[in-house]
Amino acid sequence: MEVRSTTASLRSWHAATWLIWAVAAATSVQLAPSPVYVAVVVGIAALVVGSYGLGGALARAFPLLVGIAVVFGLVRVLLTAATTRGVGTVLFTTPAMTLPRILGGFTVGGPVELEVILRVSAEAFAVVGLVAAFGAFNAVVSHYELVQTVPRAFYELGLVVVVALAFVPATLESIQATREADRARTGGRAVRRGRLLRQVVPVIERGMERAISLAESMDSRGFGRELAGHREQSAAWCGLGALALLGGSFVALVARAATTAAGLATGGAVLLAAAVVLASRASGRPRYRARRMGVADWTVAGISLLAPATLGLVGLAGDSSLTWVANPLQWPAVHIAPLVALSALLAPLVLRPPERRSVSAPAVVRVEIGVS
Amino acid sequence: MSAINYRRVGYRFPDGPVALDGIDLEVAAGEVLLVVGSSGSGKSTLLRTTNGLVPHTSGGSLDGEVVAFGRTTATHKPRELADVVGFVHQDPEAQFVVDQVEADIAFVLENLGYDPATMRRRVEEALDALAIAHLRDRSPATLSGGERQRVAIAGALAAAPSALVLDEPTSQLDPQGADDVLAALGRLNADLGTTVILAEHRLERAAPLAQRVVHLDDGRIVAVGTPHDVVAAYEGAPSVTRLGRTLGWDPPPLTVRDARARATELVGALPVATHPPPVGALLVEARDLSVAFGARRVLGEVSVEVRRGEVIALLGRNGSGKTTLLRALAGLQGCEHGTVERHGTVAYIPQDPNTLLSAPTVRREVVETLRLLGRTDDGQVDAWLDRLGLRGLADRHPRSLAGGQRQRVAIAAVAVGDPDVLLLDEPTRGMDAPSRHALESAMAAHAASGGAVVLATHDVELAARAATRAMVLGDGDVVASGSARDVLSGSLFAPQVLRVLPPFLTVEEVEAALTYREAER
Repeated sequence: MEVRSTTASLRSWHAATWLIWAVAAATSVQLAPSPVYVAVVVGIAALVVGSYGLGGALARAFPLLVGIAVVFGLVRVLLTAATTRGVGTVLFTTPAMTLPRILGGFTVGGPVELEVILRVSAEAFAVVGLVAAFGAFNAVVSHYELVQTVPRAFYELGLVVVVALAFVPATLESIQATREADRARTGGRAVRRGRLLRQVVPVIERGMERAISLAESMDSRGFGRELAGHREQSAAWCGLGALALLGGSFVALVARAATTAAGLATGGAVLLAAAVVLASRASGRPRYRARRMGVADWTVAGISLLAPATLGLVGLAGDSSLTWVANPLQWPAVHIAPLVALSALLAPLVLRPPERRSVSAPAVVRVEIGVS
Repeated sequence: MSAINYRRVGYRFPDGPVALDGIDLEVAAGEVLLVVGSSGSGKSTLLRTTNGLVPHTSGGSLDGEVVAFGRTTATHKPRELADVVGFVHQDPEAQFVVDQVEADIAFVLENLGYDPATMRRRVEEALDALAIAHLRDRSPATLSGGERQRVAIAGALAAAPSALVLDEPTSQLDPQGADDVLAALGRLNADLGTTVILAEHRLERAAPLAQRVVHLDDGRIVAVGTPHDVVAAYEGAPSVTRLGRTLGWDPPPLTVRDARARATELVGALPVATHPPPVGALLVEARDLSVAFGARRVLGEVSVEVRRGEVIALLGRNGSGKTTLLRALAGLQGCEHGTVERHGTVAYIPQDPNTLLSAPTVRREVVETLRLLGRTDDGQVDAWLDRLGLRGLADRHPRSLAGGQRQRVAIAAVAVGDPDVLLLDEPTRGMDAPSRHALESAMAAHAASGGAVVLATHDVELAARAATRAMVLGDGDVVASGSARDVLSGSLFAPQVLRVLPPFLTVEEVEAALTYREAER
């Protein structure tokens, strides 16, 4: 997999487009959890990272994230294989032990069955697919652009999340370096006692120092000079309220309380309308090279959404290949319709993103004014 | 016109110690002011009072008043001064908010509420002013230190502040990166008239830029004046200046060019004493080490022998494989092929001392290593604290120290275990002159007592003074190896004294030669 040079121009899709793509990919995995289809989604996610990866720490974390998901999957397979038995082909038998009642009272060990392993592996692989979809999203999206598309009143909160995300890879590096330093200090001799403290304290202190100097840098660059206006805050609260009410109406619907659901939904809709009106009246924070969703962005988002939509239809039509049942033993079936549906997720790769240009700066000031 | 005015400024940290005392200073608009002083002398604190980081984010109590362009920091927070004072931090890693260069530079403009058209123009100008337009789409995490620091300066400069305040902006950089940053500052001052207040250790580059130099010690101003007046008397003066002092030149030169003009009649006139390189028993023997990270070859068949009594300097640009070689010698780095035979103990001190420091005091940090090795303190702890000049800091918390001081604590904490070979990775980053001298004599003492030192460094002055042997790495290969004098003589990046008065490497050698000549007469 060739990762595009980081010096290449940052032509990419809008952050919202990527969000929609990631949701489409994740939903597709949910709708078609058969390992073959999940493998297709993981492959597409890897291609997307390969062509649009931003080269930052989060992009480099993609293989790590997928790796972690795989490890968790393996652990799950081991645990399940050791504790579950049905009526399948016994691969081998391990010594069994029944746990005391207080620990659940179930039996660990005993016969290990092929069907159980296969079924749990398939489930675990679907989780890997989900992680790959969101890992790819994290690798290709500019988190800052994402923050800039949220309403002004959430900007500060969003920025905090973005900055916190950037700390994750830095902390991982710090942990690695500290562990090595501890080993190197004694000339390679490992001393267990007190090791946790020696390895944790430097990481925490380094993190604190970084946080403080970042806070100072932000302060020195005028962050927090003007906070969200009154109107923007009202809009944000209306938006939150609308979400709560609409969520509540969904719950009520599931609980078959139609009247309550209708009431909540109406309230939610009113609040949502109020939020939109208030937000559009607020002046907003000026944004550097603000980007709107262009026609091409909407096209890619729309095509990506076709994948879960088609899979849903295929499922309703009774396609049996979407979910793989390992019992009785059989190879997972592959049908052409789900594959065609999944190919819609290739949209951001097949179409080319538009030239990046700012919607707000007139062409006149794009003349480069140099000092040198 | 006075741009920034410090009036009887005093400052006390929240936990007690006085950091500044009675600072009276006026900085004129368009001036370049250089602040010098040893670690912990109050340079950082003084700079941070300029835009109110002290006391608004640091706490503590500030006496007197700092007025920047008519706004007093008593009532204005850093964010309210962001349009007039830009601040650049020492650590290039911890000051980026956005994971894309261009958007990070625009951050200040968005905060100040400029309209999009102005923002666009300002960002383009800032990119050009620091010659980083080609990096606009990159993530700061993928840049070299020098590039990062220029991006950080652009991030402060975009708001077109009347003054830029920079706290040791080059201390974490290699010589090329440092030159780029300082050259950019000179250009900004000359072309835009930006007032620059700069704390620096690398005076040979920074001093010629400055109109005035302030020397701080213990929170007080000990001298203010032209670079010639102040730097000539400063203990951390560059080697050329110290050479000039030794030879009785008045005024002492600040740059190699000045010095060379005056040294013409001396070249070849002084007797040179050379010492044969020490040849002790073999301690580490590495054969044909090769390391690759993925497809990138980092080391290609490098062989090194480390013998007792040697101090070996590994030179080479960033990414040339110095750190990897040290790690391989320490056994921290797996190799594709090649062997490392160790006939003694080997300890490695990482570039970032913070990864090592976990104890509540300097002394306990050093004692900790002995405890881990299951040994008792037979006076080694005090010996190493003394050797590295840490006695006075023994009861301080390591995290409360300046960068160069922390580095010395880390070195003491490893060296106290008495390994035969000490591997030091970039030990002089952020170190002031006294710290460097302490480190140099500690290395010499360790080698003289039968140990060996291998250090990766960008600092050719350090290599010239301390190394018995030098190796230059380039792209994972050894491109030059031999006695420090032979290797450095052929180099474009020769130490200052060698460039002025070959074949001498250090001021100390010139002093010895002068003494010898006197004795001859």
